[in-house]
Amino acid sequence: MSATVQDTSEKQAATTTTMLEASGLRKTVAVGFFRRKVEILKGVDLVVREGETFGLLGPNGAGKTTTLKVALGFMRPTAGTVRLGVGRQELGYLPENPYFYDYLSGAEFLALCDRLFAFDAAGRTERVTALLRDVGLERAANVHLRKYSKGMLQRIGIAQALINDPRLVLLDEPMTGLDPVGRIEVKEIIMRLRQRGKTVLFNSHILADVAELCTRIAIMKDGRVAWTGEVADALGSNGHVRDLESFFMEVVRA
Amino acid sequence: MRKVLAVAVNTFRETIRDRILGVIILFALAMIVASLWLASISLGQEGRMMKDFGLVAVSAFGLVVAVFVAASLVRKEVEKRTVFVIFSKPVSRSEFIWGKFVGFGATMLVVVGGMTLFLFAVTWAVARSPSAAILVAGLLVYVQLLVVMAVTVFFSTFSSAVLASVLGICVYVAGQLSHNVLSLTQVSHSEALKAVTRGVFYVIPNLSAVDLRASVVGEGAARWAGVAAWTAYLGAYVVIALLAASWSFGRKEF
Amino acid sequence: MRGARKLLLALSVAACVAVVVGYQSTRAAAGLSNPRVFVPKVSFYQRFSPAMRVTIGDVYWLFAVQYYGEHVDTDHRLDSLPATLDVVTSMSPRFKQAYFFGAFALLDAGRPDLGYALLERGFKANPNDWHFPFYLGFFAYTFASNKDKDRIAAQWYAKAAALPGHLPSVERLAADLYTKGNAKGKAIELWAQVYGQGDKYARDKAVAALDRLLPDDKTAREKAVARLKDLMPASRFDQFIADVFAGYL
Repeated sequence: MSATVQDTSEKQAATTTTMLEASGLRKTVAVGFFRRKVEILKGVDLVVREGETFGLLGPNGAGKTTTLKVALGFMRPTAGTVRLGVGRQELGYLPENPYFYDYLSGAEFLALCDRLFAFDAAGRTERVTALLRDVGLERAANVHLRKYSKGMLQRIGIAQALINDPRLVLLDEPMTGLDPVGRIEVKEIIMRLRQRGKTVLFNSHILADVAELCTRIAIMKDGRVAWTGEVADALGSNGHVRDLESFFMEVVRA
Repeated sequence: MRKVLAVAVNTFRETIRDRILGVIILFALAMIVASLWLASISLGQEGRMMKDFGLVAVSAFGLVVAVFVAASLVRKEVEKRTVFVIFSKPVSRSEFIWGKFVGFGATMLVVVGGMTLFLFAVTWAVARSPSAAILVAGLLVYVQLLVVMAVTVFFSTFSSAVLASVLGICVYVAGQLSHNVLSLTQVSHSEALKAVTRGVFYVIPNLSAVDLRASVVGEGAARWAGVAAWTAYLGAYVVIALLAASWSFGRKEF
Repeated sequence: MRGARKLLLALSVAACVAVVVGYQSTRAAAGLSNPRVFVPKVSFYQRFSPAMRVTIGDVYWLFAVQYYGEHVDTDHRLDSLPATLDVVTSMSPRFKQAYFFGAFALLDAGRPDLGYALLERGFKANPNDWHFPFYLGFFAYTFASNKDKDRIAAQWYAKAAALPGHLPSVERLAADLYTKGNAKGKAIELWAQVYGQGDKYARDKAVAALDRLLPDDKTAREKAVARLKDLMPASRFDQFIADVFAGYL
């Protein structure tokens, strides 16, 4: 089964653009007063292709967020390489537990993001309004972000990640802190992105959502990728039908 | 340039809407009004006292605002993780630093300008001794504070906000004593000490080359060529400090 | 229970307020401060930032005013006033009011010599202000014990008279003092200037004074008057001759 997965993957690799590629990625940080060295990434190999909805899974501290940070240039790799298949102009990113500018309103914040892409001022208001409508925040457009609820902040975060109609969207824990309604809305956004051919990579601890949304996943453990492949393979390898949670636990505990 | 302006406008909005600025401005205005009481114990010299101590108040409170806000300008963005939102977009680290500085510089212009105008109006109304030199002195105070802000922003790129504030104030005080450092160079017998003090003299901004209050209170006419040269010197110092801040921030990981 | 708690809280607050107010109301006001106050030397402050000198001078000015007001009518001790005024005037050499107030305050301190020295320093720093030589003349005339104090005072008043904005009476003062100081020649010149520049009142005064100063002999008087031609406008000189020789015709 795994050989078939590899063959399919290789065929896909030959025809589609690589949107994110990490090879032997290592990252060591110095922590504490005595600057003790801690290796967070111990050789991550990862490939995300165009059009995929990719789930990056792993227990807390596995290195998922660090991998994204290194890919985005927030951190420098200690060894190995990582490259994105798009420039910043075509990239959208939602950080984990997003925090924005207290005294800006939702509309002002999105207008700022629009300006950071150096888009023309003409049509800015319409773009911002349309985006607010897409994420269900049209009524809160003129409310200061400090008054937004957790769910509203998550949604404005997704809106700013999509303001440039990116080809690659990186979402770090997009469902964290959302109520069931908020989760469904975010899932719908991700599905719409998938239908439009966007490449989406997201971390999540809610494996049911990952199973529903993703085409491929990678499971990280202790700074390495422990398993990567199609979701279907994770759910039904060796002829057994099982849930992603059980598979995840198997990989993580191995 | 557009991105620098986008960050600048955002920074201006954030800092102007931050209520702490309002408290400090009110306090400064109260200080200026208090100088009226001081004037009543000065034996007919209320005009002179109000101008002198009013300008001291503008400098002192401007310094407090400049140092404490500049120290957290960049720091706050890192701590609140808004940098992830900014740098996932096509904005360079130096554009960010310059944008933050320009935006806060505009805020400080409002703060210092407001206090100076108020002082001018008070000396006109109460002491009947208006002097356009107050406005010029206020502008020079602003230029001095730009230097302190730039240096504080530089410190904040690699130290905590508290330490950056303290260092910023130290640089202001050291800048007021710049000519003492030069005297040390001249009276010292040790060549090594001479070299060190000369180095310190060039590194520390010379904030005392022009006596802002002298021409305001009638202790001699301003030498405009000297003021222009000093302003150009301070402007060059700001550029160097911000380039250093851009370099330092460019190396930062978050 | 809740009512009792509230009552207890209210009573506690009232008790604390009563203690605070009661304690403060029993405090005595500060007494007279020590007339001997440490004032650093001028050189100490001159090493400070040149950008702060004016402010340092103004702070000491306020201190000087309060210090003088506190001590002049109480213990009459102004021990630290000279040093304080030194700082004020050295930090702000063009702060004229500091010299004027200081000089007269130093009189109250029993030190007219220091007041005189202060005014001399002020005149050096403000050479175009007639008030300085004017007050110096006053100090010299009133407090000096030199035999030639009248002449010294006259010289100061003459200097004041040469500066713009001076009072019209300054020349007459100078001329009078030259007379008193037996500097007849100077006195005559100054009275001639008064005649040339003054109004009718001043001219009458000048004529009366010159009548006493000029030689009685007509020829000698003519010689003396001839030398005064350049000291007044030509249009006035004829009238001057007529006035000075009125009794001789």
